[in-house]
Amino acid sequence: MSKQWSGVNRRELIGGAVAFGLTAPLMAYAKLQKRQKAQVVVVGGGYGGVTTAKYLKKENPNLDVVLIEERPFFMSCPMSNHFLTGLMELTPLCFSYNVLETRYGVRVINDKILGVELDKKAVRTSSGYIAYDYLVLSPGIDYDVEDKPFYKDSLVYNPPAFKPGSEHIYLKRLIEDFEVGDILITVPPPPYRCPPAPYERAALIASMIKKNKLKAHIYFIDANERPIINSEGFLSAYYDLYKDIATYITSAQVRDIDVHKRMVKTSHGDFKYDLANIIPPMKANSLLEKTGLLRKGQKWVEVNPLTFESSVKNVFVIGDACQSYLPKSGYAAHSEGKMVAKIINARMKGKEVKEEYLQMICYAMVSDKEAIMTETAFRYDTVSKRFVPTHREDNQRKESTAKRYEEWARGLWRDLFS
Amino acid sequence: MDRRDFIKTCGTVAVASMIDASFFSQALAQQKDGMFQAYKKALLVKQDGTPLKEEDIKPHASYIFFYPHASTPCYLLNLGEAVQPAEIKLKDGKSYQWGGGVGSKKSIVAYSAICAHQWSYPTPQYSFINYYPPDTPSETTKKAGIIQCCAHLALYDPKAGGSVIDGPADFPLASIVLQEEGGNFYAVGVLGRDQFQQFFDNYRTELRQQYGSTAKARELVDKCIVMEVDKYVQAVVRC
Ligand SMILES: Cc1cc2nc3c(=O)[nH]c(=O)nc-3n(C[C@H](O)[C@H](O)[C@H](O)COP(=O)(O)OP(=O)(O)OC[C@H]3O[C@@H](n4cnc5c(N)ncnc54)[C@H](O)[C@@H]3O)c2cc1C
Ligand code: FES
Repeated sequence: MSKQWSGVNRRELIGGAVAFGLTAPLMAYAKLQKRQKAQVVVVGGGYGGVTTAKYLKKENPNLDVVLIEERPFFMSCPMSNHFLTGLMELTPLCFSYNVLETRYGVRVINDKILGVELDKKAVRTSSGYIAYDYLVLSPGIDYDVEDKPFYKDSLVYNPPAFKPGSEHIYLKRLIEDFEVGDILITVPPPPYRCPPAPYERAALIASMIKKNKLKAHIYFIDANERPIINSEGFLSAYYDLYKDIATYITSAQVRDIDVHKRMVKTSHGDFKYDLANIIPPMKANSLLEKTGLLRKGQKWVEVNPLTFESSVKNVFVIGDACQSYLPKSGYAAHSEGKMVAKIINARMKGKEVKEEYLQMICYAMVSDKEAIMTETAFRYDTVSKRFVPTHREDNQRKESTAKRYEEWARGLWRDLFS
Repeated sequence: MDRRDFIKTCGTVAVASMIDASFFSQALAQQKDGMFQAYKKALLVKQDGTPLKEEDIKPHASYIFFYPHASTPCYLLNLGEAVQPAEIKLKDGKSYQWGGGVGSKKSIVAYSAICAHQWSYPTPQYSFINYYPPDTPSETTKKAGIIQCCAHLALYDPKAGGSVIDGPADFPLASIVLQEEGGNFYAVGVLGRDQFQQFFDNYRTELRQQYGSTAKARELVDKCIVMEVDKYVQAVVRC
């Protein structure tokens, strides 16, 4: 534990700060002093974190809930493929965290979390510590490139756009600037964030090329044998709509990337590109390594599947960062957030709850107008003590499904920010 | 009490006097936990302005009307058979008494068409939440005789007070309390958790565009034009 935390009282600290002329940090710290302790600290203002913070306060307005997020506003990755390919503006995807503060009384801190000290029950931000009774971690993913350094340059030149924010804006610019040549899209092995997203992105880029009659060819290089969800729907769309402009190469591993020569080496040959969207493998956000919750060699944090509680009591890990029976999706993170809010509120009253029904819905565009979808309902079987899934796919591409997709997303956003 | 609650309560008191006494003699007045909200008594009329009669409500067709506010949509259904009263239980342990169907066969019911999950509702462009008659099961869930919302597949039972059959909704659809008098039908109030506040909070822009102002969208009605859903909605989205 740092000296700043241990035993220094507020007056001493402010005095010290003034003595060193640190007026700006002083203000930050003074603000933090008031916020030094919260009943619940929620880390990450994405799908999982926003839901948890809002529902905690909605169910129990007296609770002291702090949400810490480094980005100034929320941006939705769901529907971001629409944005990348010109089917939607960026604005509808962005939301202010203010609503959480003004409507629900969540204290939102716009700061980077540097670490969590589980033994002291405190979260360390760039301006100090915040202690908690309950902690919910929903920091999302990081790109898993440590043992494959060739990905590192590529992250800069070829933004994967699998984390919310600026990567999308840059990739959109690259797509808009593209006129002619070869496009390369790669899919990593699972598990990664949003299983259908790369397949949807490839279809939408292909659809855009067709619509704009660009002289281009797409090499879609998949580490998997086939699309890992809605495979029938994606394959028939690729075959029916894009076979003249796209080549789908399966079970191919990325071995090396030369960003200067614009070349990717794979287990199925070398590919030169004019535009690339190289989606690297993924793992839980590195913040979780620092906390010790993500152990060496693990990619995702193990949690109790019924409660999403980690190995540490009253510390929950939700969303893409955890290893659960649910897919890594915004809808899952949202459901988990609601569930964990219920569990914490009940636990504070000395009760236990467990949700015995969860549902997943995934939509994916296969052209600029049509979409396919899947639904999986999970019911808890008390005998086998596991969740039993019922899976339904609608692989017939339809315009009405594309409309439902939009309504699906708008519903989620309404729920998060109103 | 916050401002919003205050306004709501005043509104309720103000309109209570417009509802006839026999209505209050019924169990509705005893609903606990504020589960019944009386609004202006509104006559259901056809598009030509004449009162809607039982024979105008064809079995298993979907009709839409707006109640209690000018912009809050409801579905009117003739389920073709008597629908019994039921106790509707909520997840939070609360419950309320639903009165069943009205009309000579006790087969006519009405529900708010604002999905209790994330407030999808029928607009002039799209309706994602719809009634599936017994002979037209949902392609996705294979269930018939239900109200299903295609946004996230919430399923409601119109024969059981709009209670949740499956899917992500935490609450039943609010039901519109109908009263029949001398062959005419009136809407008199709303039973269950209405979603009106969320509706107005969420759709401010859309409602301003459609109704001119939020105040207009919120106006309480005393007459409801009933029309077939596909006459109001351009694309009825089924799934
Ligand atoms: C292209 C694409 C399309 C998608 N489409 C869909 C879809 O159609 N349907 C669907 O359900 N899902 C979809 N997803 C998946 C969805 O975006 C994720 O599953 C969801 O965002 C996971 O939520 P989360 O809370 O775990 O993480 P996130 O939503 O990523 O939130 C994590 C937050 O934590 C913050 N954070 C991380 N580290 C720190 C730190 N140290 N300090 C402060 N803040 C920090 C981040 O800034 C971020 O805001 C899609 C994803 C992509 C990339
Ligand atoms: S809004 Fe109707 S199911 Fe979600």
